[in-house]
Amino acid sequence: LQFSSGLSVTRRLENAVFDHIQAFYQPKSVREAVRMLQSGPGRVLGGGTDLALLQDRSIRFLVDIKHLGLDYIRRDGNGCDIGAACTMSALEHSPVVRGLAGGILSRAAATCGSIQIRNLATIGGNLANGSPAADTATPLLAMDASVIVQTRRGRQRIALREFLALPLPRRINGGLLVQIFAPKSKGRAGWSFQKFGRTETDIAVVNVAAGLGIARDGSCAWARIALGAVAPAPMRADGAEAVLVGKALTRSLIDRAAESVAREIQPITDQRASAEYRRQISQVLVRRALLACAQEAGYAL
Amino acid sequence: MSGRNGHGKNSMALKVRINGETREWAISPGDLLLDVLRREGYFGVKRACETGECGCCTVLLNEKPVNSCVVFAAQANGCEITTVEAIAHGDTLDPVQQAFLDHGAAQCGFCTPGMILNTKALLKEHPHAGEEEVREMLAGNFCRCTGFKKPVEAVLAISQNGPRHCEKTPAEDRHLVVGHSLQKTDGVKLVTGRPCFTDDVHMPDMLIGKILPSPHAHARIKRIDVSKARALPGVHAVLTYKDVPRVPHTTAGQSWPEPSPYDTYLLDSKVRFVGDRVAAVAAESRAIAEEALRLIKVEYEVLPAILDMEQATKPGAPVIHDEPDSTGIHDARHNVAAFIKKELGNVDQAFRQADVVVEREFHTHRQHHAMMEPHVSIAWLDEDGRLTIRTSTQVPFHSRRQVAMILQLPVQKVRIIKPRIGGGFGGKQEMLLEDITGALALAARRPVKIEYTREEEFYMARSRHPQILKVKIGAKRDGTIVANQMSVLATTGAYGSHSATVQGNTGSKVLPLYRAPNMKFDCTVVYTNCPVAGAFRGYGCPQGFFAQESVVDEIAHELGMDPIELRRKNLIRLGDIDELSAQLGEGRKGLPRHIRSCGMPGCLERGADAIGWESKRKSLPGKSTHLRRGIGVSCCIQGSAIAGVDWGAAHLKMNEDGSFNLQLGAADLGTGADTVIAQIAAETLGVTLDKMIVYSGDTDFTPFDVGAYASSTTIISGGAAKKAAEKVRAQIVDVAARMLEVAPDKVNLGNNEAFTVCECRKAVSMADVARHAMYKDKVQIMDGASHWNTDSPPPFCATFAEVEVDTETGKVRVVELVSAVDCGVAINPMAAEGQVEGAVAQGIGYALTEEMLLDETGRMINPNFLDYKVLSAKDMPKLTTILVETEEPLGPYGAKSISEVPINGPTPAIANAIYHAIGIRFRQLPIRPEMVLKALHEQSKQRAAVARKPVGRRTRKAAASD
Repeated sequence: LQFSSGLSVTRRLENAVFDHIQAFYQPKSVREAVRMLQSGPGRVLGGGTDLALLQDRSIRFLVDIKHLGLDYIRRDGNGCDIGAACTMSALEHSPVVRGLAGGILSRAAATCGSIQIRNLATIGGNLANGSPAADTATPLLAMDASVIVQTRRGRQRIALREFLALPLPRRINGGLLVQIFAPKSKGRAGWSFQKFGRTETDIAVVNVAAGLGIARDGSCAWARIALGAVAPAPMRADGAEAVLVGKALTRSLIDRAAESVAREIQPITDQRASAEYRRQISQVLVRRALLACAQEAGYAL
Repeated sequence: MSGRNGHGKNSMALKVRINGETREWAISPGDLLLDVLRREGYFGVKRACETGECGCCTVLLNEKPVNSCVVFAAQANGCEITTVEAIAHGDTLDPVQQAFLDHGAAQCGFCTPGMILNTKALLKEHPHAGEEEVREMLAGNFCRCTGFKKPVEAVLAISQNGPRHCEKTPAEDRHLVVGHSLQKTDGVKLVTGRPCFTDDVHMPDMLIGKILPSPHAHARIKRIDVSKARALPGVHAVLTYKDVPRVPHTTAGQSWPEPSPYDTYLLDSKVRFVGDRVAAVAAESRAIAEEALRLIKVEYEVLPAILDMEQATKPGAPVIHDEPDSTGIHDARHNVAAFIKKELGNVDQAFRQADVVVEREFHTHRQHHAMMEPHVSIAWLDEDGRLTIRTSTQVPFHSRRQVAMILQLPVQKVRIIKPRIGGGFGGKQEMLLEDITGALALAARRPVKIEYTREEEFYMARSRHPQILKVKIGAKRDGTIVANQMSVLATTGAYGSHSATVQGNTGSKVLPLYRAPNMKFDCTVVYTNCPVAGAFRGYGCPQGFFAQESVVDEIAHELGMDPIELRRKNLIRLGDIDELSAQLGEGRKGLPRHIRSCGMPGCLERGADAIGWESKRKSLPGKSTHLRRGIGVSCCIQGSAIAGVDWGAAHLKMNEDGSFNLQLGAADLGTGADTVIAQIAAETLGVTLDKMIVYSGDTDFTPFDVGAYASSTTIISGGAAKKAAEKVRAQIVDVAARMLEVAPDKVNLGNNEAFTVCECRKAVSMADVARHAMYKDKVQIMDGASHWNTDSPPPFCATFAEVEVDTETGKVRVVELVSAVDCGVAINPMAAEGQVEGAVAQGIGYALTEEMLLDETGRMINPNFLDYKVLSAKDMPKLTTILVETEEPLGPYGAKSISEVPINGPTPAIANAIYHAIGIRFRQLPIRPEMVLKALHEQSKQRAAVARKPVGRRTRKAAASD
């Protein structure tokens, strides 16, 4: 399996200029944007923080989606609708997002680069163009989020999990990612986001988001464990979740779930860490995340 | 001109409101905001990484800080933009700018505009931001000079009314200017983002130069076809080895004759590392230049490459320098660039008599300077046809000599100008771009600029020499060290820049720290097809002290002695003579070092107190949780200039208002050298610092100086300024005596006045003296002086680190770091502290995170700040800097050096602290979490195995229930 968990490691030395870009469009409506995107070799421009590093000389035009009114965060009865052009800063500070699923999406957004980057980078870009280490993908996966894509035929809702399985840049039928739906958790639950980097401001070597639901009888009602930078795309650890569900939570059960995670992931060795180390760290972070979830849910282990 | 793009056919209009003014510019759709702003003259917006990591290009976009290098200019259409140029209120600085000056938060000043804008945005939202918020905010602004301590304090001074933490040293009471923590003389232009760096100019008709880098680690150029590149419209010069003179030289900026081999060529038919020069072009825009590079067709004969230094001298290894015309290589056929072997006494005999002998092997890695301003040179022919090069260098005068030699011009025909420099740390003690930029300018007959991208900086510039060190130390049971032996294998990469001297320093500056009567040092420096190593702050000492201080710690452990006690017993002290330095000169026989000042006992005592050594050392680190703490210590020294080699000159001229032009050959690269030297001159002349107009590092208008390296500037250039000032002072006294009608020995100078020391208490102002001299005597008061030393007084440093090891992930966090340094008299304590804190940040990075990684083809796989991990404001531990004052007889006003010595301490102190925390010694750098975790797993396996051994039933039982 050949992939890198971040930027391409072997960028060509000489290319640093965007003279191949011949047009810059600022459409006024989503429909107009979709039409433009289908007209040729163009790319969606959200914040630009990834695109301005891209060495793809086949791109001929950019479609700026900052003026389509897609920067909203709206509380919905079942959760929250987030416009694709919302910045990391907006997610970080939004009371709505902070109140959702223990605020793990806010916390993840707050680790996404520096303040200057978070003021630019969008959630849409992070999901549609993000590396396997994309920091917002992991919590959203754990939250069972879905995305809405606008194509020429209309709006289409798909599970984030399916969306992230697409190759980069993630597009469906030439459509534009316009909205993310993050459901709120039901019942007694706890959430946690864990990130391991080489320094405090690093891209994730591994990131983990987890949620645990506690049933009336104190057993685990549901479990969600998502990981980033350990597979070709952010992933859910289904096996580990199955280990937990329906059972009384104990430290040893959590250890078993963490061990299962280490078997489920497919990490690679790159400049940031070896596959072996990613496996070890994943196990540690999952254990820490689940313990934190239990604690947050007020469940004494 | 500095933009990536010219105005192409797809030009569009960008309308913005910038700094309160409405502007409309023609841009290309692919233009980045950074390029457009610099093209339009907003030079306060700095280009440093172009990947959105470092924050030097920060602007406020609709009041929010963003990195303009990752914003397409068209995105800003209709937006409001604020750059640093709009922060001051006319001539009055903004309180943030003032705080940065007051606190010494700006050193080179290259990252400062970004920091100031980010601070403005933070304080607008959180006027009372605390330290955590400030560090979070500054995490978006890389800074390689300050270690973030002073920038954080500057912001907190505003948000929390925080105090100025600045050591008050005894010298402050003895002098009027020296010993005072004064603002940098160049500070205002740095905090206001004035155009003062190399690239902050628009030259008419300037071309952009680019270098075609080798994709192979080792190859011969069989055929090279540049015809298509030459034919591309907008291309004005294309150079290959066929077009330029072949002059063997070294790029090392050292005194002539350089002790580095002459093994490098302007362009060659052979390439020796990934990133080596293949060809160079000059074109009307960066885009055309890049297109021209793509059009050059090269056929390579790929040769086997050596990437592992231990393979370099093996029989059958490919010969990297097989060309016949290189000189000064120790043994080219076996890839040995340099070799040194020296012995004092007889170590073998001494080891036999020692009670404890510890011998260990250490592996150190490639660290990059990662200065915020990449290398950049602009070359043009002036109106007299002289080749003028404005360049980011630490060595203007050496560069002039080298460029003249390489381009076969008389020295008279070359002028080097060093403007403000955005950090160097040794990386710019190298003639790296000046020659090729000059060659392109000569070929194109137009101004040419070459500026490395961050990626090119990593691939093509210099780095710290990786070494394999074998250290063997023998001691008596009472702790007396009797023998100290170090054997080093190092690689200089493809070219031998600084190869002998860096490694010589590993011996001469490290071993003499302890008074072992028997010492032996040998080193072999080999060529490999790897990135070229060169000068880097510490110059061979960080490697050596990591090894030596780790072994000394181990000996203390073996003997059951406190590590401080063992060191105290053996440290070199006042009155000692270090003979090893005499053996290991700069590629030639050196001079012995006499210890005329030594603050090491004070450094150990005050440092230990500050970190709480006694209590923390005794209280066992927590065993219950997964977080374990430990503390460690290390001692180190450096030099103050190269004895008998380094020299510099200064010139002073008095103006009619009592101000002085101070012309210095010295090369301030952001350290504050101009300020420190001006303080020395002002003190001597009896004037305040504001009377000094400093101009430095211009080969036409300043006298010679070797440049900024080897911790020489304060002691050598400062010494020259003091001598020049003494001469000028005598002239002033002479005039004043006549004006005051007293004998010259009755005149004293101070507070911008000449006054009598007799009872009459008469005085004249300096301005009156100057006017009298100029218009009555018709004499220009002026003089110059040169200075050198026969000795290199060492600064002393004790470093204490407290670490926390996460035993589940292996991650090491430095909790606190204390550096106690004896730099003699600190001429400017605030600047001196800044040197320490910046060095410490680089030292911690060296120990834990910074590493240039090469793949199996010799290509660096992390040539960007995303994966070359320098520490941010959020990563830095609590730093404490203690200046332990001594008086060095050889230094101006008792000063020694400070810029390098503190970088040697963190790595061994951290390694020793890790041992204290978890009982494991790490002998390979950087100490990565992965390595720590692996070692911890092995440790627990071993412990389990030991516990399983059938010693007795009880033990087995205990182990089983564990």
